[in-house]
Amino acid sequence: MPIFEQGDVKIDVDEDGFMEEPEQWNEKVAMALATTEGVNELTERHWKLVNYLRDYYAKFGIAPMIRKLCKETGFSLKEVYEMFPSGPAKGACKVAGLAKPTGCV
Amino acid sequence: MSQEPIKSDKIEKALALFKKRMNRQAVLSFGVCVHCGMCTETCHYYEATKDPKMAPAYKADKVRKIYKKHFDWTGKIIPSWVGARDIKTEDDLKELVDVVFGSCTMCRRCTFNCPMGVDKALIMRTMRGVLTELDLAPQGVKDVSRDQWTIGNQMGVSDEDYLETIEWLNDELKTELDDPSASLPLDVENCNMVYAINPREIKYAPMSLLAAGKIFHAAGESWTLPSKGWDNTNFGLFSGDNALGGHMGKLVFENVQRLKGKSLVCSECGHGYRATKWESPNWSGIILEQPIYNFLEIMVDYVKSGRIKLDKTKNTEPVTYHDPCNLARSGGITEEPRFLLRQSIMDFREMYPNRADNWCCSGGGGAMSMSEFSKRRLEVAKVKADQLKATGAKIVATACHNCVDALMDLIRHYKLDMKVALVGELVANALVMERKAIPVMPAYAADSFLSGFRILVTDDEPDMVAFISAVLGDHGAEILRASNGDEALSILRKEKPSMMTLDLSMPGKTGVEVYEEMKNDKFLKDIPVFIITGQPELRKLIYDGSYPPPNGYVDKPIDEEKLLLNVRKILNLQHEKT
Repeated sequence: MPIFEQGDVKIDVDEDGFMEEPEQWNEKVAMALATTEGVNELTERHWKLVNYLRDYYAKFGIAPMIRKLCKETGFSLKEVYEMFPSGPAKGACKVAGLAKPTGCV
Repeated sequence: MSQEPIKSDKIEKALALFKKRMNRQAVLSFGVCVHCGMCTETCHYYEATKDPKMAPAYKADKVRKIYKKHFDWTGKIIPSWVGARDIKTEDDLKELVDVVFGSCTMCRRCTFNCPMGVDKALIMRTMRGVLTELDLAPQGVKDVSRDQWTIGNQMGVSDEDYLETIEWLNDELKTELDDPSASLPLDVENCNMVYAINPREIKYAPMSLLAAGKIFHAAGESWTLPSKGWDNTNFGLFSGDNALGGHMGKLVFENVQRLKGKSLVCSECGHGYRATKWESPNWSGIILEQPIYNFLEIMVDYVKSGRIKLDKTKNTEPVTYHDPCNLARSGGITEEPRFLLRQSIMDFREMYPNRADNWCCSGGGGAMSMSEFSKRRLEVAKVKADQLKATGAKIVATACHNCVDALMDLIRHYKLDMKVALVGELVANALVMERKAIPVMPAYAADSFLSGFRILVTDDEPDMVAFISAVLGDHGAEILRASNGDEALSILRKEKPSMMTLDLSMPGKTGVEVYEEMKNDKFLKDIPVFIITGQPELRKLIYDGSYPPPNGYVDKPIDEEKLLLNVRKILNLQHEKT
């Protein structure tokens, strides 16, 4: 199994770089993963989105629809893509420590 | 690793499944490979690694050996001569999973370069089907297949979430266009088009659906999204499971029928279009009466007929185009996207090789859903990365949601300075929104049974146009006028009237030519035509043609009663039909 290492962060990931053990997640891990998705700084707005994703995933075991994400966080579609250029499925979910979404993504 | 022999019932099951799939094309592809090596350098897995085990013929032989052993007479007699081998151990099965799921995107580039016409993707898909039935498919493929079977779409989107998302996008569209009449219609019956999409557009990336909404709105199209059967993708194509293929095809087709749509349009998804148009009829046993189009074809028609106007100065960055395998190699759609891009961007740069010879995005065949092979996928994506880099473009446009994700992945992996966009998104960005001025003739007569109908009157004699317009207008019809054939065709395309009257002898394009052109145009052929002519002998030209006869006919000089009777008849008939 591949291991993702950056600074003192060392976690198990799948071949696409998504976390294998969600309990290993912490803010440092999120920051390290963010750099692999072209996000160099996690602002308050990023955290709001990441935390929402984590809460939803803990509750339902899947990633939320973009509709729910926008509605609950108050961000527009455009803002979400500005914060995470690779989109909610790949970028935001990866940083939030979710498993890789299923399907053509 | 397990050298453990497979239980004999499992082998028997695998062989039985294999045998079941031996149709004519499969036997041809298994039987005729001469190992000439032509395919080797056509495969990006080989090209990036130079590993002979990645040559298409070598990979195909991993499956072919089973065919040779059990179905080929030479293999039965002298197995070693033709490389015939059995599946014996669990490792043999694991190796097959690695080959058919992990080392081939079923892009068919090798097939195009095979002098014998061996369809290696078919060989891979045949074995994928067997492994899927043995429950050995990669987990990602299983997950998606399960969601398609049980929920009806590949991302497990519930009905409630789908409807709520459409409602939200509906509001977004109105806001973006600042036009309350813009909408994403849902479950509207009798539309010209039922639009089936990729669930990615609902779950994560709805920009392409908004773009389509804008384009349909600008063109004044009558279209609808279905509330069910809206997923045009089909993992049956990737898993090799024909039953799943049929299930998904049936869902889409039945909803086009339920909504009485006049055509089915697939959004920009390569495999979805291929599966829906070319494979699902076989898998589902349903031959849809309505034609099936790709959204690219529809957009081309809008531009050519003037229904939408584009301003290419709105897209200034250099753009190249990546041909999705399932559209270019397996669907023949290569010129439509180029036409659209040249109309909507300033700087188009061709990628080499291109069209049917293009390299795979590296994510085909469901590869994006199989994480266990992602490392290899990204390694062999080097071929694509080099090809993209050489264009010097800042944006790579494509017409497939799966290609979008694969390209984004490799762009990040190889640190290219590029973005990915769908063709429809670039077209939507170049749209010139203008309100249409529709010529209106007020309905002032008491008996306005034609109110609500728009009738195009075509005649080269102004007196005749004035007379017919007055008679029909007096009864409430909204009149459009054309004085020659070309003008008539252009108004037909733009305005889609309820019917038209057509003079046969006109300078330039004759009425007969206009009629023929209409019948050959998928968007115009259903508009009722009422022939009005002073030269009844010309009537023969139309009735003798191979087209369906016109909907009505009167001679000049026109009898007012007869004219109205015919128009009433034509519109009533048409009204009942829809």
